[in-house]
Amino acid sequence: MMNWTLALPEAALACAGLAILGAGVLPRRHDMFFPISMAVIGALVLAGVLVLGQGDGAALAGQYVSDAFARFSKVLVLIGAALALTLALDFNQTDRDLARFEYPVLILFAAIGMMLMVSANDLMTLYLGLELQSLAAYVLAAFNRDSERSAEAGLKYFVLGALASGLLLYGMSLVYGFVGTTSFDRLAEALTAEHAASLGLVTALVFVLAGLAFKISAVPFHMWAPDVYEGAPTPVTAFFASAPKLAAVALLTRVLTQPFGELSAQWGQVLWLVSAGSMILGAFAAIGQRNIKRLMAYSSIGNVGYALIGLVAAASADPAVRSEGVRALLFYMAIYLLMTIGAFAVLAAMRRRGRPVEEIEDLAGLARSDIGMAVWMLVFMFAMAGVPPLAGFWSKLFVFRAAIEGGYVWLAVIGVLTSVVAAYYYVRIVRVMFFDAPGAAGALDARPASLTVVMAATGLFTALFSVAPGPLLAAAQAAVAAIAG
Amino acid sequence: MTLAGLPLSILALLLGAALVPLLARSGRGVAAWSSAAVLGIAALAVAPLAPAALAGTVTVLRWPWLPEWGLDLAFRLDGLGLLFAILILGIGQLVILYAAYYMPPEDGLGRFFGILLAFAGGMLGVVLSENLLLMVIFWEITSLASFLLIAYRHDASEARIAARMALAVTGGGGLALLAGVLLLGRIAGSLELSAVLAAGEAVRAHPLYPVALALVLLGAFTKSAQFPFHFWLPNAMAAPTPVSAYLHSATMVKAGVFLLARLYPVLSGTELWFALVSGTGAVTLAYGAYVALLKHDLKGLLAYSTISHLGLITLLIGLESPLSTVAAVFHIINHAIFKASLFMAAGIIDHECGTRDMRRINGMFRYMPQTAVLGMVAAAAMAGVPLLNGFLSKEMFFAETLQEPPVAGYAYALPAFATFAGVLSVAYSLRFIHDVFFHGEPVGLPRTPHEPPLWMRVPVGILSLLCLVVGLLPQSSVGALLRTASAAALGGPPPPYELAPWHGFNLPLAMSAVALAGGALWYRFRGVLFDLHERFAPLVGGPAAFERVYNAAAAAARLLMAAMDTGRLRRYVALLLLAALGLGLHAVAGAGLAPPHGAVIPADPVAIGALVALAVGAFGCAGLHRRRPLAVVFASVVGLIVSLTFLRFSAPDLALTQLSVEVVTIVLLLLALRFLPEEARATDAPRRRRLGDAAIAGAGGLGAAALAYALLTRPFETVSGFFVEQSVPGGGGTNVVNVILVDFRGFDTLGEIWVLALAALGAHALLEGLRLRPHALRAASEADRHPVMLAMLMRPLLPLALTVAFHILLRGHNLPGGGFIAGLITGIVLILQYLAVGLDITSARLRVDHLRLFALGLALAAGTGMASMAFGAPFLTSAHGYVPIPLVGRTHLASALAFDLGVYLVVVATVLLVLSELGRLSQRELRPAACGGQG
Repeated sequence: MMNWTLALPEAALACAGLAILGAGVLPRRHDMFFPISMAVIGALVLAGVLVLGQGDGAALAGQYVSDAFARFSKVLVLIGAALALTLALDFNQTDRDLARFEYPVLILFAAIGMMLMVSANDLMTLYLGLELQSLAAYVLAAFNRDSERSAEAGLKYFVLGALASGLLLYGMSLVYGFVGTTSFDRLAEALTAEHAASLGLVTALVFVLAGLAFKISAVPFHMWAPDVYEGAPTPVTAFFASAPKLAAVALLTRVLTQPFGELSAQWGQVLWLVSAGSMILGAFAAIGQRNIKRLMAYSSIGNVGYALIGLVAAASADPAVRSEGVRALLFYMAIYLLMTIGAFAVLAAMRRRGRPVEEIEDLAGLARSDIGMAVWMLVFMFAMAGVPPLAGFWSKLFVFRAAIEGGYVWLAVIGVLTSVVAAYYYVRIVRVMFFDAPGAAGALDARPASLTVVMAATGLFTALFSVAPGPLLAAAQAAVAAIAG
Repeated sequence: MTLAGLPLSILALLLGAALVPLLARSGRGVAAWSSAAVLGIAALAVAPLAPAALAGTVTVLRWPWLPEWGLDLAFRLDGLGLLFAILILGIGQLVILYAAYYMPPEDGLGRFFGILLAFAGGMLGVVLSENLLLMVIFWEITSLASFLLIAYRHDASEARIAARMALAVTGGGGLALLAGVLLLGRIAGSLELSAVLAAGEAVRAHPLYPVALALVLLGAFTKSAQFPFHFWLPNAMAAPTPVSAYLHSATMVKAGVFLLARLYPVLSGTELWFALVSGTGAVTLAYGAYVALLKHDLKGLLAYSTISHLGLITLLIGLESPLSTVAAVFHIINHAIFKASLFMAAGIIDHECGTRDMRRINGMFRYMPQTAVLGMVAAAAMAGVPLLNGFLSKEMFFAETLQEPPVAGYAYALPAFATFAGVLSVAYSLRFIHDVFFHGEPVGLPRTPHEPPLWMRVPVGILSLLCLVVGLLPQSSVGALLRTASAAALGGPPPPYELAPWHGFNLPLAMSAVALAGGALWYRFRGVLFDLHERFAPLVGGPAAFERVYNAAAAAARLLMAAMDTGRLRRYVALLLLAALGLGLHAVAGAGLAPPHGAVIPADPVAIGALVALAVGAFGCAGLHRRRPLAVVFASVVGLIVSLTFLRFSAPDLALTQLSVEVVTIVLLLLALRFLPEEARATDAPRRRRLGDAAIAGAGGLGAAALAYALLTRPFETVSGFFVEQSVPGGGGTNVVNVILVDFRGFDTLGEIWVLALAALGAHALLEGLRLRPHALRAASEADRHPVMLAMLMRPLLPLALTVAFHILLRGHNLPGGGFIAGLITGIVLILQYLAVGLDITSARLRVDHLRLFALGLALAAGTGMASMAFGAPFLTSAHGYVPIPLVGRTHLASALAFDLGVYLVVVATVLLVLSELGRLSQRELRPAACGGQG
């Protein structure tokens, strides 16, 4: 029951984190950012390898569970964290304030938190992982201390995040009050009884849902995302938009389908609204944006809406639809993660005479000055717009399919209509890059090699996904079998 | 293996699209020849299968791709597919020949032909797909290729706008189609076309049929430029003319009507189908024909006439008779031939004259008689002049309108409408002929036009000749193809019909005659129309409407954002709370209220007193939040009452923890507040807004109270019994809370101290070396005045307090206490010490690196856990026994004590770190010169 070795990846990563932290502190030098970053990337890769070798089972008195679902999410979380850190390698070194060793260490701790989140089998473990990740995130958002926007972003994120955590904790204590346990397994047992859907429990569930919806920036708990995405340094934004979002979605999926599976009628309704609201807001709000990071914030809100379609389908009474819904969701998030990191790699490369620029207009004429980057960005934008045969098409296809199979036709219709609107602003970026004349300010600086690596890796995946979609699908399939059979 | 020809032909085109741009580096000729060769290879790959398709056999090739997702690489060749394949590959060859001479010599042609081939591949994929999803994928590829080709001359801003508009409309339609196809697949149980076609009855009877139909039609109508989605097509004329000839008249825009024909057996036969399809077709037919005449731009006229003819085809498909579908298929062929020819002729004229304005291009017959003759033949076909192909399909259309009227009693309506549409179409065809080739002399052309190179005329000639051939010998030229294609579209044998250039004198012929004469008159009096148009047209233009819709959407989005996305924290918090409240209410509404049961303990004076104090604390904190230190003090009242409440309900551990946490946080908070002005700036928030905020806060509080009430008044069974029973045997301690923390749930606790360490690291990252703004100076300058009394008091207090902390740490396992509380107590002492004597002295005495302290604490906690594994026990298993300690005596110790010690160290290190960072911060402010650096 206390099978400790099951949690080896987390333990190893934690020990590595401790060692790396020590290595960062002890030399008392100011140029530790790069070596520490490389060490953290190494630790993340190592943890990824360990995750791949992880077995099935519950550990630590049933609070921690390792299954295909957790492993699928963990591998992606680690990939996301490692890529987001790679993104920061050159970006941060141009700024004295950003090039501090705490940055990679915070990302590493956040990664541990996310791994705990997706492996949580108990409300306490869930909260623990979530806070570990959130605390790191608050600090990262404000990491550029001398920038007023960054500090403001951090503060807003912290205040709102604390409120949302409060909601979550409140909901969790209500759950405990009504059921008398925090363990997912026992919750699931207790909730199969007929009297499960009492008012108090449903309200408790709703608060848990609200707290988690905040973490994935779904409407109506999205309001922090645009300000934080815009204010935080670009590599931090890239990180926020990728790994933590995936981890929180995975966590939400496990919580809703396992302990609260019997209440699916209740949460299904709420999620329907959340999903539709996110898609609509994400599509329309992005139209008027000039700042490309803000635009990406709304785009990520919209994307969460699409992903949640899969979770709505997972509320269906039909087991086949349920598993198709979760599969579509995982698949969506996996592709979104890589797509969005690629796009942010381009954003991180947007500098003019050493200073970061963030307006969409700054991309004007990119095709003439740097065709390679323009092409990668084109791939990401078209993929996000859902153009076949790029990866983004498949992810949209599968969530729509799940919705239709589950009979949520209107949700699919809303999804399609908002995709049309969203396609318009993605294409606008392509148009600016390829067809507009470069502005008076001149071309962007040459991009650093580390960003090229990230762009190429994610770009090739996005562009060539159709050639061999099998492995990812099979992995998602195995993950689904673990939680929604 | 001839079957593999289907995917091979598509693959050849897509590969060619990648290769030709590379080959084009060797010259334009190579680019053109290789493109033609690629198209030829594709044709050769399909050719062996053509006879079977012509005979009516459906060939299906299926390779499993993602079987569990219902996606196979499945291709199909039947009559309809064959017809389109011939159009795509045949006209494609002519367009390549034409473009090689049309495109400016400085253009290397590699990119152009590359995209053109990609388009051909996508289009061929659309018509040859057996799997509907596969079809949608190819469908989007054609939209994308069209986008790239329209934007080919991207220096022109109109081209860029047009390209984006076209992609938004057709790509968006493609997404709608995707949803529609998925829905169809769900209803029919398969995405294979054969299965879907066979499930027509089930589909039409399904309750979701209207949704599926609407989505599919949205895809078809946007692609085929049906009203009101037509506006992208005229703008798409910004593309080079070969593109207009190929994509925007002959093939791509036909994809929409192809789809209608393809799904005809499944979707048609309902009132809704008739109303939507024929209604849209009729409006488009008339509207396009009317506007076409008014266009002064040569290509604009052709674009609107294309819209009109596509409307005609749609109308024919929508009509409920099999014969009308035959007419539709026939018109698809005819229109592709004459319109491609017309576009090429228009391109030649544009090329030679340097303008496309028909008010300036006149009398071209004299300058380029051969081109003029070819163009006139094609235009006459478009007008429906007898002996040409357009006449035949138009006659079929007229004959169809005379059949049983769909709406009883209005037998004359449809024929009259058809004749009127005929009048309009004759009028614009006449304008093309008369204005361009005759009508006096050209006006102010930049250069003198003359006949183009021979090879530019050849494609036009071939197509115009085809107009004549089909018109004269319809049965022997296209009869077989038409029959098999119609059969494929209808899903059964077509009705008997006769293809002949002459049917004798009958009513349709009379309608044609009226249309020809009326068209001539309409053209004669066009001046009136032009005047009217100039006055009113700008109000109703499609692109303008699109821009208006787009601008309105953008404005609405901005308004929405102005309301929600203000960047103000206050608004965000309000939204967050409102959303949570709304969700809570939603839950209440959904689940219904349950009657409370269980006895309520009556309130005693102590409880009421605590309640009042709580309320005072909460209201005081909220009401006085501008005077920050005071507000913090009020907040501490709340914390104090909470810990007293714990005490009252016999939870001394919680009370102790809460108390020490409260003290540490409040003191640290007060220390941090020194860097802010004592009083916050008064905001000039209107009263209304503040009342609103108060209402939200009140509602939130009441909701929470109601929930707490519901929770407390229900029978309560928890797991606490288990922990109480297991505490001594399993964990070796009588203090249940502590045993839970360090043993049963030691994993959580380990995680929590990680969180604490992370918080400290965050504080370190944010505060280390930070420099504040000057306004903090005033507050900070008063910082280091140390009260003498406190300093004196601290001397005996320090060792005393440390002893207490040690005691609490040691006894924690059995009596209230433990590492966490002990750590906090130590923290309080250190804070006091700092306040009493200042940072310099405190840190001089306490030569501990807090980061190392962290490491030690974390390592100790983790190490204890792992140590138990060395004995073969699970992680964090506790061993316990009585150990004699000098001076203290025989003490019951559990190995968890070491774990607790780790917790203790981490807590102390956290407090220490925050304290020293804050202290250094104020010192930096006081001694900016000594620290160096620039603010």
